[in-house]
Amino acid sequence: MNARAAILGAVRDGLRGASVPPLPPPVEPPAPLAVAERIARFTAVQQKLGGVVEAVADRRAACARVGLLLAQKGAAVVAASDAPLLAGLGDYVPADVALLPPDAPRERLLQADIGVTGAQWGIAETGTLVLASADERHRLASLLPALHVVVLPVRALLGTLGEAFAALQRDGAPAARTITFVSGPSRTADIELTLVVGVHGPKALHVLLVRDDG
Amino acid sequence: MRVSPLTPETFADNARAALADATLTGALRRATDTFAERRAAAIGAVPDWQELRTRAAAIKAHTLARLDAYLEEFTANATKAGATVHWARDAAEACAIVRDLAQARGSKRLVKSKSMATEEIHLNAALAQDGREPVETDLGEWIIQLAGETPSHIIVPAIHKTKEQIGALFVDKLGIPPSSDPQLLAAEARTRLRAHFAAADLGISGVNFGVAETGTILVLENEGNARMTTTLPAVHVAVMGIEKVIPRFGDLETFLRLLPRSGTGQHLTTYQSMLTGPDPMGQGPRELHIVLLDNGRSRIVADELMRQTLACIRCGACLNACPVYQSIGGHAYGSVYPGPIGAILTPQLQGLHSAGTLPFASSLCGACKDVCPVKIDIPSLLLELRRRAVAGEQVPAAPSRGAAPTTSKPARRKPLEALGWRVWSWVTRSPARFRLATAFARLGQKLPFAMRLFGPMRAWQSSREAPKLAARPFRDRWRGDAR
Ligand code: SF4
Repeated sequence: MNARAAILGAVRDGLRGASVPPLPPPVEPPAPLAVAERIARFTAVQQKLGGVVEAVADRRAACARVGLLLAQKGAAVVAASDAPLLAGLGDYVPADVALLPPDAPRERLLQADIGVTGAQWGIAETGTLVLASADERHRLASLLPALHVVVLPVRALLGTLGEAFAALQRDGAPAARTITFVSGPSRTADIELTLVVGVHGPKALHVLLVRDDG
Repeated sequence: MRVSPLTPETFADNARAALADATLTGALRRATDTFAERRAAAIGAVPDWQELRTRAAAIKAHTLARLDAYLEEFTANATKAGATVHWARDAAEACAIVRDLAQARGSKRLVKSKSMATEEIHLNAALAQDGREPVETDLGEWIIQLAGETPSHIIVPAIHKTKEQIGALFVDKLGIPPSSDPQLLAAEARTRLRAHFAAADLGISGVNFGVAETGTILVLENEGNARMTTTLPAVHVAVMGIEKVIPRFGDLETFLRLLPRSGTGQHLTTYQSMLTGPDPMGQGPRELHIVLLDNGRSRIVADELMRQTLACIRCGACLNACPVYQSIGGHAYGSVYPGPIGAILTPQLQGLHSAGTLPFASSLCGACKDVCPVKIDIPSLLLELRRRAVAGEQVPAAPSRGAAPTTSKPARRKPLEALGWRVWSWVTRSPARFRLATAFARLGQKLPFAMRLFGPMRAWQSSREAPKLAARPFRDRWRGDAR
């Protein structure tokens, strides 16, 4: 008997005649918060987690702000995703900065100082960015560099975790094959429970909230 | 190299040694106090905390009662998404699956993120036999690996170590200048482990939840090492206990509200990775292998009374709340799972014959039950396991494979104890004898050294205060006042 049949058989035999308590019905997502409230909460929670949140007017302003950040931080190598909002980023990248596309070789991506990506949703309640990989290749650019810069349309900022889980499901399937929730820069408390911000993931997180992403 | 680990058989000695270690008890006290405060603050802000717990417990109870169907649904959907699902009856089978995978892929550099299931099956030691010991990448686990020790907490593996001890370890093993600054030590870990991530060809992780409806696995963490481990290598192997499955994708919300708040007092851990099959975008592993691990769990499922043990989401709250764990730490339990959850889980996984001491390592104060996010009635389960240990009953109920059933040693009271109980019964059956005996006892209490000299009392009193007898018995006062 193979292992699968043996384990399933043992479980089935063990449960023969067992009473099955009902599965609670799905949670109804709560009423959405007003936009101003969502922005205020998201910003407050991000700050508490060690992130920075800034508002920008539109996609041009977002790319310009990223360009300025690259210059300020003295970045040499930048990894960018293929987010539509970042399509015009090339025009704003300083001449001496190398801009890597998502399919650049791993060795190069590992050298990037800054990663610039979009996010599919934000969650105000938990200060979370939802990276769903169906339409954007941001898995590496959001992870490897020490600074992660995210452009997020205000339109995509949800109120609660419940709203996010409602948005993340399409006909019983997840919205993307890889979904990553990011709430602030990486952290650890493994040494005497002392908080250290910045371990293996990004050490800093900078969110640009884009008011008009049209 | 690993320091030979302690075992549950010698629990009393392990505990005594731990209590005598002032550095350890100090570190534990600080850590568990901090955890308890953070947890209280985090759940205080959730108005429907009790409803959430009830909901989570109901989801788990339902799933476990139909586990076979949910496992099949999970497997079908994970497979459809492109993952390969493997089944392992026990630790040896699970280790063999991972060894074979690494062998067949020619993997040379392995990295691993924190996972209790892989600790349980001693996967590192198995892979080391082929010269493929994975590098632990969670900071706490890496510290433990450098020190050649075992984790002492399920959330914070190096909770028993002070920053000075960790600093000294880094000087010794990594040759860096002395420092006990957590910031600097963590930065060193980042630099060193980067090189391992960059070169790794196989990544091993655990699984916090597996969703039947979608075949998704969820891994949660704070450091980003699990993201690295499940993103950079070409092959990702996830080891998942069969009890980790939940029915619906939306159920993740309930558990994500409960787990981080209970474990570390965070609203959410920094990262949750939800992976459905391998990465289709060329940004992650080409292969995803999920190893479903039984290793005693199907026996627990079959045991109706004990089944709720498997609802555990490994948050660690019961450890932090437990006065026994707070005093002695994780190593004394001599088991991969310490604290209250270890005291119920380990005897069921290993059998009462080798871990039967653990259910007795509790004052039954109930703090664990109060904090448990999935409402496991740990004190009742401890009592049931004590009863079974004393009655010499077989635990677990019936093994899933040919191995001989593990039976706890039939209870045989020590002769002196048996005599004691017979005398007690004789004394209490007559009012006159009882009066006489309590008069003697009262006299004896005036001479404490006499009590301590007295054999059985000495053992009992080594960790307890004997109750004080009143100078004038209630019986006499009642009579006097009634007159
Ligand atoms: S038994 Fe409950 S409190 Fe303890 S680790 Fe498991 S879920 Fe957490």
